[in-house]
Amino acid sequence: MSVAPLNTIADGYRRVASLGNPILDLSPITLLLSIILVIVVAVVGSGWVAPVVVSVVFVGIAYLAGRGTRYLVNILKLWLVVGLLLFVLRALLVKGETVLIPLGPIAVTAEGVDEGLRFSTMVMAICGGVTLFFALVPMRHLTLALERLGVSPRASFVVLASFQSITDLGATARVVLDAQKARGIETEGNVFVRAKAFFPILAPVFLTALAATEERAIALDARAFNSRGPKTSLIQLRPTPAWEWIIVAVCALVAATAIYGGVVGWL
Amino acid sequence: MALATLRDVRFTYENADQPALNGVTLELEPGLVHGIIGLNASGKTTLCGLLRGLIPHFHSGELTGEVVVLGKSLLDWDPAELSRTIGCVFDNPFTQISGIRDTVFEEIGFGLENLGVPREQIIDRVSAVIEELGIAAIAEKNPNELSGGQRQKVAFASIIAMDADVMIIDEPTSQLDPEASEAVFEIIAQLKARGKSIVLVEHKIDLLAEFADTITVLYEGVVARTGPTRDVLGEPGLEAFGVRPPEVSEFAWRLAAAGKPLPFFPVTRAEAARAVSQRIEEVSRGDRTA
Repeated sequence: MSVAPLNTIADGYRRVASLGNPILDLSPITLLLSIILVIVVAVVGSGWVAPVVVSVVFVGIAYLAGRGTRYLVNILKLWLVVGLLLFVLRALLVKGETVLIPLGPIAVTAEGVDEGLRFSTMVMAICGGVTLFFALVPMRHLTLALERLGVSPRASFVVLASFQSITDLGATARVVLDAQKARGIETEGNVFVRAKAFFPILAPVFLTALAATEERAIALDARAFNSRGPKTSLIQLRPTPAWEWIIVAVCALVAATAIYGGVVGWL
Repeated sequence: MALATLRDVRFTYENADQPALNGVTLELEPGLVHGIIGLNASGKTTLCGLLRGLIPHFHSGELTGEVVVLGKSLLDWDPAELSRTIGCVFDNPFTQISGIRDTVFEEIGFGLENLGVPREQIIDRVSAVIEELGIAAIAEKNPNELSGGQRQKVAFASIIAMDADVMIIDEPTSQLDPEASEAVFEIIAQLKARGKSIVLVEHKIDLLAEFADTITVLYEGVVARTGPTRDVLGEPGLEAFGVRPPEVSEFAWRLAAAGKPLPFFPVTRAEAARAVSQRIEEVSRGDRTA
């Protein structure tokens, strides 16, 4: 991979941050509000059509933003694992008059299938929205946008550090697992073998993380993190243009219509 | 005004049986590089923590004696003010990264952002430090994905960028190869030339001999030796405190023991080269025997 010259990198910070795509360059707040409002459409409907349409819209947005394939793969995995499980559980457990498949004391009913479809597609639409948001918005941009709205840098640090800690814990777990493997402990194989190798490492992984916390706090203090004066930011987000609020307004109108439609029975 | 004055300082960490520092009396002058050396658990990092105010503001324990930093009692310093005045970087590179910045460039600028430095100045200062440390190739990399040595350089760069007048640097080269270690020491020398005061914990005695103005040897929480580098390293018996003298000093002692002393006692490689050349000249002139 070629490395950009230092002055080019530095010049990048002199400009407004851009990810090179109009959707990716939307304000994180615009995206957050729009996605939440679109999710409302999926939640208020009584059938499965609205959540499926919403999910398809999310896939379309991901493709327009240039993140489609990765998003689609992630969302399909979610549909196959979580969506299917939710559907099966609902289909089996919701009681109804029209029995489709009798299974001893329980039965798959037409009402259960309907409810399973509605519930699983709704949950998947919510998951799709959340996944889309994090696929489109770098966390740093989100926290900067929140700081612009008055959230304290300390709070935004907690958000960023929490997300990073997930990655860090995963990396530490891999290191400990590799160390176990080097000592001859079997760490690969079926799910039971993996579980047997994995559970004992949880204690060292969390203890390592706790031990590092103190040093990390000192390192942050050394970077004037506790300084009380105003802070600046190397990354500059562009000011939110008025037309982005029109997008939010349109989404709000669609959500309001969906809520009304849900009340009067259109959806 | 002294950089730091310690009088009969004892500190025992909470729940510890033994004191980490046990009657330390020390005076550090400003504008110099002060090397601290000693075995593991000899009190080096505790001394750094004390000078930086982490003790008693961050680490609790029993502290007695008097510590004066830049003319003010340690207990009177506001911790936030002290953190701005004294930059520090500790030895574990995996905990010296903020973990919340996406590129090395942003990581190095993090401290300046916290100080409220304007963006243009941050960009200029970070660029200069990246050039100085020769890490332009990793400027766009994610700091969380760097090797230990690279992280160490980034952590060091971050503190340099903040341009504090006093810097406490704990083993900055522990994960670096010899070439990179030497480069770090060159930068420390440049910082000194810019008037910075530096307290440097380091095990690489040959490099310390070359760059430190004073050396303090700690042993079991006590100052075993302290003084100008030449005086401390020139006196035999350092091994008793778990410190090997510089290779060139050992070389000079062995020659002296063999009855062929060098014309003067070297502690750095450059001095050793001069001493050997001088001796060769003396032998060739017939002043001495080989």
